[in-house]
Amino acid sequence: MGVAGFILSPVIGFVIGIFFMGLFRIIMARIHWRYGPPLYQPVIDIIKLFLQKSVSHGVIFELGLLLSLAGSVVTLLFIPIGNICPLNISGGLLVVLYLMLLAPIGIALSGGSGSNPNISIGISRKMLLALSYEVPFLLIVLTLMFYYRTISLVNLVHFQRASSWGIVSLPLAGIAYFLILPAMLGIRPFDMVEAPQEISSGLKVEYSGKFLALYYIEHAFRRFIVIALFVNLFLGGAGEPFTFLLKMVIVFVLGVFINAVFPRFRIEQAIRFNWTWPTILALAGLIITYIWGGYG
Amino acid sequence: MLTKWFKQPQKMGNKYSLWAVYFCTGCGIIEVPPVITTRWDAERFGVIPVGSPRQANLFLITGYVSLKTLKAIIRTYEQMPEPKYTVGFGSCPINGGMYWDSYNTIKHLDKYIPVDGWIAGCMPRPEAIFIAVTHLWTLIDKEMANGYKKYREKYTYYRKNQERALGKLAWPPLYNINKRNG
Repeated sequence: MGVAGFILSPVIGFVIGIFFMGLFRIIMARIHWRYGPPLYQPVIDIIKLFLQKSVSHGVIFELGLLLSLAGSVVTLLFIPIGNICPLNISGGLLVVLYLMLLAPIGIALSGGSGSNPNISIGISRKMLLALSYEVPFLLIVLTLMFYYRTISLVNLVHFQRASSWGIVSLPLAGIAYFLILPAMLGIRPFDMVEAPQEISSGLKVEYSGKFLALYYIEHAFRRFIVIALFVNLFLGGAGEPFTFLLKMVIVFVLGVFINAVFPRFRIEQAIRFNWTWPTILALAGLIITYIWGGYG
Repeated sequence: MLTKWFKQPQKMGNKYSLWAVYFCTGCGIIEVPPVITTRWDAERFGVIPVGSPRQANLFLITGYVSLKTLKAIIRTYEQMPEPKYTVGFGSCPINGGMYWDSYNTIKHLDKYIPVDGWIAGCMPRPEAIFIAVTHLWTLIDKEMANGYKKYREKYTYYRKNQERALGKLAWPPLYNINKRNG
């Protein structure tokens, strides 16, 4: 692939992320028995937001947003999309774990300079939620590393393609990841970070115009990353981008169904959930893998 | 259609993505939940409610405006990013409606903030919001929905009326005040 991958990978992430936003709104509308907006409605929204007059709250407000956007784009370069993986290094999984934290920290920095009480509630909720899903997530990643005896994402995909999918050989870890997937995506049972009815959309309350557009683009990238990671870790990745994107769409639609039928948790309920069932399943999976031994 | 997008992207974007600020000003807000949910689906017109005035560009004044509400309306309106559009919903913001002799309500809203369109009725049906939205599209196309420009130009007049109704205002003026013409 070479240099072309460095451009192709973020472009695919951007286009598919925006497509997911449109798909999300259409599927939600159809589940509510509504007609719903056109598929290109997020594109209209983002064009409008970029051309609006916007209010800035200082240098950190702008730089924090750029930091989170850059963090998401760099994370995307480490994730194989089919056979496109621009930064194919041996320790990819560990680097992704570190870089995935850049986006919430950047948003927290940026939002914090807005000095609105709703923002501080939103930030504290976002950080607590990140704290709660990181515990099972790290256990799941540890299980995978131990089972396949590699910390390279590309090798992980190769091993899964050679034998069976991760969700077949490590069912407990796969189920645990699927349980924390809504929390990582920030969708309905865990959307207390951006609850428009309680804290007037929380973190993004002071964003307007082009800052809000950048926030939405960052959100689209983040959704893409989380789902692509699930497909790579448990659904065996893919040899070419098309099959990979098909698998991603299936996982995303399942996530939208969860979003459509569940009400919103409070933050302490979300933490209690994330630290019980997904953590217990992930821990059990780790112990079973430790006793039975790894792959090959 | 597509050439219009390339010629005037701002106008077209504002037309098809009107985000309404979720602010219940009066009893007319009872008509808005059916509009944004299943029965009359406003999202197919691109109209969605948002939680913060910073993100909105459509302001529905739903129902009567008391003096206390007027304060919040002015602050919300001034926080919205330009271009922004206001629609008065129901007969109360137009001329006071059934509160025409009340000591505590505003009779003519357009003295305090510029209003781009009116929906008459007490209460208007939810379909009337869609008629208003499609009419607002025509106004945006013809550049007649320029209330935000008017607010900037005649800010002295609006500020004077606001101060007459509310006494001394707790926030600084948004634009320069021309003392001579005021």
